[in-house]
Amino acid sequence: MKKLKKALFLLGVSALAALAGGCQKGSADGKTHLTFQIWDVNQRDGMQAVCDAYTAKHPDVVIEVQVTSWNEYWTKLEATAISNQMPDIFWMHTNEILKYADYGKIADLTDLYDAEDPEFYQKNFSEVSLSNIQGSDGRYYGVPKDKDTVGLVYNKEMFDAAGVAYPNESWTWDDLCDASAKIYAATGKYGYMAYGDDQLGYWNFVYQNGGHILKEDNITGGFDEPATIDAMRFYIDLQKNDWCPNQNYFAETSPGTAFFSEQGAMFLEGNWNILSEMQNYPNMIGKWDVAVLPKCPNPTAGDGRATISNGLCYATSATGKNLELVKEVLRFFGSEEGQRIQGESGAAIPAYIGLEDTWVKVFDQFDYKLNVGCFTDMFEYSVQSVNNKYRPTWKTQVSENLLKIYSGQITFDEGMQIFQDAINKAAEDD
Amino acid sequence: MAGNAKSGKLAKSESMWAYLMVAPTVIGLLVLNIYPFLDTIKLSFSKTRPFGLYELRGVENFVQMFGSPEFWRANWNTLYFCILTVPLGILLALVVAVMLNTKIKGRTFFRAVFFLPMVVAPAAVAMVWKWIFNTEYGIINTLLAHKINWITDPNIVMITCAIVAIWSAIGYDAVLLLSGLQNISKSYYEAASLDGATKLQQFFHITLPMVSPTLFVVLIMRLMSSIKVYDLIYMMIEEANPALTSAQSLMYLFYRESYVSGNRGLGSAVVIWTVAVIGLVTVVQFWGQKKWVNYEV
Amino acid sequence: MNSSLERSRKIRTAGVYAFFIIGSVIMIFPFVWMFLTSFKTVEESMIVPPTILPAAWQSGSYNKATASLPFFALYKNTILMIFWRVVCAVLFSSMAGYAFAKLNFKGKNVLFSLVLIQMMLPSQIFITPQYQMLAKVGLTNSIFGLVFPGLVSAFGTFFLRQAYLGIPNEIAEAAYLDGCNQWQTFVKVMAPLTKASMAALAVFTAVFAYGDLMWPLIVNTDLNMMTLSSGLATLRGQFSTDFPTMMAGSLLAMIPMVVLYLFFQKQFIEGVAMTGGK
Repeated sequence: MKKLKKALFLLGVSALAALAGGCQKGSADGKTHLTFQIWDVNQRDGMQAVCDAYTAKHPDVVIEVQVTSWNEYWTKLEATAISNQMPDIFWMHTNEILKYADYGKIADLTDLYDAEDPEFYQKNFSEVSLSNIQGSDGRYYGVPKDKDTVGLVYNKEMFDAAGVAYPNESWTWDDLCDASAKIYAATGKYGYMAYGDDQLGYWNFVYQNGGHILKEDNITGGFDEPATIDAMRFYIDLQKNDWCPNQNYFAETSPGTAFFSEQGAMFLEGNWNILSEMQNYPNMIGKWDVAVLPKCPNPTAGDGRATISNGLCYATSATGKNLELVKEVLRFFGSEEGQRIQGESGAAIPAYIGLEDTWVKVFDQFDYKLNVGCFTDMFEYSVQSVNNKYRPTWKTQVSENLLKIYSGQITFDEGMQIFQDAINKAAEDD
Repeated sequence: MAGNAKSGKLAKSESMWAYLMVAPTVIGLLVLNIYPFLDTIKLSFSKTRPFGLYELRGVENFVQMFGSPEFWRANWNTLYFCILTVPLGILLALVVAVMLNTKIKGRTFFRAVFFLPMVVAPAAVAMVWKWIFNTEYGIINTLLAHKINWITDPNIVMITCAIVAIWSAIGYDAVLLLSGLQNISKSYYEAASLDGATKLQQFFHITLPMVSPTLFVVLIMRLMSSIKVYDLIYMMIEEANPALTSAQSLMYLFYRESYVSGNRGLGSAVVIWTVAVIGLVTVVQFWGQKKWVNYEV
Repeated sequence: MNSSLERSRKIRTAGVYAFFIIGSVIMIFPFVWMFLTSFKTVEESMIVPPTILPAAWQSGSYNKATASLPFFALYKNTILMIFWRVVCAVLFSSMAGYAFAKLNFKGKNVLFSLVLIQMMLPSQIFITPQYQMLAKVGLTNSIFGLVFPGLVSAFGTFFLRQAYLGIPNEIAEAAYLDGCNQWQTFVKVMAPLTKASMAALAVFTAVFAYGDLMWPLIVNTDLNMMTLSSGLATLRGQFSTDFPTMMAGSLLAMIPMVVLYLFFQKQFIEGVAMTGGK
C-alpha cells in the first residue's frame, strides 16, 4: 500500500513537473545566495540595510530579505522545518522559540562568539534579552535583535480641555482613573481605553502590583496570588466606568484606531508602532505624546513599576547547508555595527546595550518632538514577556475566558480559577 | 443504454477511452487531495506534537471533542449559518439568473453589478463590510439612527455574517445557474407560448426542470461550502470579539485548535467529523435528487 | 383584453426593474464606499458620523499602495496562475466529466466518489502536505507552485458531468454512427455543446484562484512571486488602520478581474448562440 502510494505520488509529480517545465532559478553568478525571512514589512528596508552592510564587505554573498505576514509566517515556517527547507536566516519570536529549540529545529548559537569573546552575550545584552533567546535547556538559540517596552500614549488636547496635568513619572493608577473621569466629564471622549489584551494591557498591571502570570518556576500559574487577582480585578473593572469603552467596542475598534480618530484620550502602546503612527497620522502631529506607564500606588511587592518587554531574535536552521556562512552573518547581525544600523533605520530598539539612543534619534527627523525617550527609560524596570512552552495551549483558554468575564458569562472568581487551571493543566498534560 | 447494443470490442475501446479521460483528474485527486486526507485521518487518532510528529493513540481526540461544549456550539453555529445562507442565497441567485436571462434593457450593466463581488479579494470584502456594520461609525447604524452591535452581539453576529456571505456568493451561484439556463433551447419556450402558457407556468414547467441539474450542483456546492465556512468568519470576527463563541464554525474551531493551540490531533478529529457530516448531507441529496432533478436520458 | 395583457406585462417589467435597481444599489454600495474612501485621508475615513464625499480628493493612498506592492509583478503572477488553472480545470474536467456522464467503465462509481470526497474536504488540510510535495521536488517559488493545487478540479468535473448529463444520448450516438471514435465524438460534437458551462467553470476557477489567499503566501516566499490577494494581505499587515490605502490597493487589485470579466462576458453570449439550436 505504501509503495503504491509512493509510486502514485512520484508518477503524479513527475508528470506534473514535466508539464510545467523547469522553473527553478539557478545561481549562475557564482555567489552564495541566502534567504532572510521576516514578517514585518515596515522593517524590510532596515533589514536590507543591515544585510547590505554585510555583503558590502563580503561581495561573494547575496542576502535576499523576504516578507510573509505574521498570520502565515508560522504555518509556513513549520512547513519548511518539516521538509528541511527553512530559510537561511529568519526572525524568531518568544511565543515560538521554545518549540523550535526543544525540537532541535533551530541551531544552538551559544558558542557563536566564543572565538572573539566568550562573554559577548552577557556583556552586550540584558538579562531580559537573553531569556528571550533561551530554549528550555537554557542554551541560546538566537542572536538578540531588538527589545521593546510598553508606554502610555495620550492626547494633549483632551487633557488641556479637562484642565488635567499631563502624565508624568509620578503618575499612579489613581491619577489614571482620575484624569479619565475628568476628561470624560469635560469632553465626552473616552479616558484610558483598557483593552482586554495581555502584553498591551493587564500583564503590565499585574507585575506592577507584584503579582505573576507564571510563578518563578515558569510552569505554575500565578492567578492564585492575591497580588495578581487584585490587579486583574482592577484592570477588568476599568471597563465598568463610563469613561472606558467596553470589550464590544474594542472588538470593532482597536484602541489605536479610537485614539487616532480622537475618540479616546489614552491607551497602552508598544514602542514598535510609534514611528509608523507618526508617519500615518499627519493631522495628529502636535496633539499627542507618550509617557512611562503609571505605577501601582500600593503594590503588594516591589516599587509599583513594571513594563512588559519582549524581543525578537535572529535564528537559523540546525541543519542548513550554509550553516557556517550563516553563523558568520549572524555574528555580524549581533555585533555593535549590525545593531547600530538596525537602530538607525528606525525599525526597532536594538537589543545591544548602549545603542538604545539610535532608535530615539530617528525621531529627530520630525519637527514635532515626542518624548520617545520614555520607552528606553523603562528598560530599568522592564519585565520579560510572559512565556513558557505550554503557552500556545493555555493562551487561547485564557483569552477566551477573559472575554467571558467581560461579558458576564462567568464571574471574576470563576475566571481566575479557570486561568489558573488552564496554565497548570497545560503543563501536566504534556 | 447505448452500450447494450455494442459488441464486446467496442465496449472495451469505450472503457479504454474512459480510463484515459479520467486519468489526469483521478491521479491529481489522489496525489493532491486524497493522500492529505488519509494523513488527516491518521492524525485524528494520534496525539500530535509539533513538526508533524505524532503517536497513535486511538479515539481519545474524539472523546475529548464530543465532550467539549465548544464543539457542540460550533455544530449549532454551522447549522444556523447554513439555514440562514443556503435557501435564501440560492433563491436569490436563481431569481437573478432568470431575470438576467430575459431580454431586459441594461442587462449587461445589471449582470456586471451582480458579478462584481466576485472580483474583490476576500480580505477586502470583510474589511469593507466590517466597516459598514461598525457600531460607532458604520454607515448602516448612521442610516438607521440606532446603535446595533452587528458584529459583537452574540444574537446578531451570525445574521451579519450571513448577509455578507450571501452578498459575496450570489454572483458565483448566478454564473452557474445562468449557464444552465442558457443551455435550455428556446424552442421549448416558443412551443409553450404557442400553447398559451404564462411566463410563470413556463418557469415551473420548462425552466425549473431544465435547470435542475445545474441547480443540484449549486445546491450541493453551496451546502458543502457553507458547512466548511471559515475564511469569512475568520476575517469578520477577531479573536478579541466577545461574540466569538456564537460565530465559531466547525472549521474555525479546527483552525483554532490546529494552528492557535497547536493541537493538530483534535483539529483533525474536527475535520473528520465535518467531512462525515458533509458526506451524510450529500448522500441524502443524491438520494433525494431522483425526486426533483430532471436528466435527459 | 389586449390592454389588460399589456398592463400586466408593464407591471411585470416594472417589478423586474425595481428588483434590479434595489439589488444593484445593495450590490454596488460597498464599491462606491471603497472608491470614495480611497480618496480620503486616514483621519477622515474614521470620522463619526461618517462623511460620504472626501473633503479633498487626494490620490496619496494610491501612491502609498503602489510604493508598497510590486503591482506589475502581482498582476503578472495572478494572470499566469489564473490562466494555467483555468486551462487545466476546463481541459481535465471536461474529459473526466464526459467520461463519468456518458461512458461505461468498471470502477466508475468508485472513481467518481473520489471527486465527491474531494469536494467535501476542507482545503485547509491540503496546504501543508502539498507544500511538502512541492518542496521535495524543489518547485516552490515558481508559477507552477501557484498553479499546483488547481491542476485538477473536482468541482469542475462534477459540474461538467452534470452538463453532459443534460445532453441527449442520441447526439453522441449519431456522431458515433457517422464514424467518429470516442475521442472525436467528445471533442467535435459533445464538448462544444457545453461551451456555456465551460465558460462558467472558467469564470468560477478564475475567481476562486484569484481569492486564494493562504496558498500563495505559503508556497512562494517573496513579494515579487505573490498574487494580488496575498499581496493585499501583506498590505493589511503594514497599513492595518490605514483604510484609504487598503481600499486603494483593493481597487487596483480588481483591475485584472474586471478585464477578465469583460472578456468572458462575450463568451456567455456566444454560449447562448451555440446551444440555442438543439
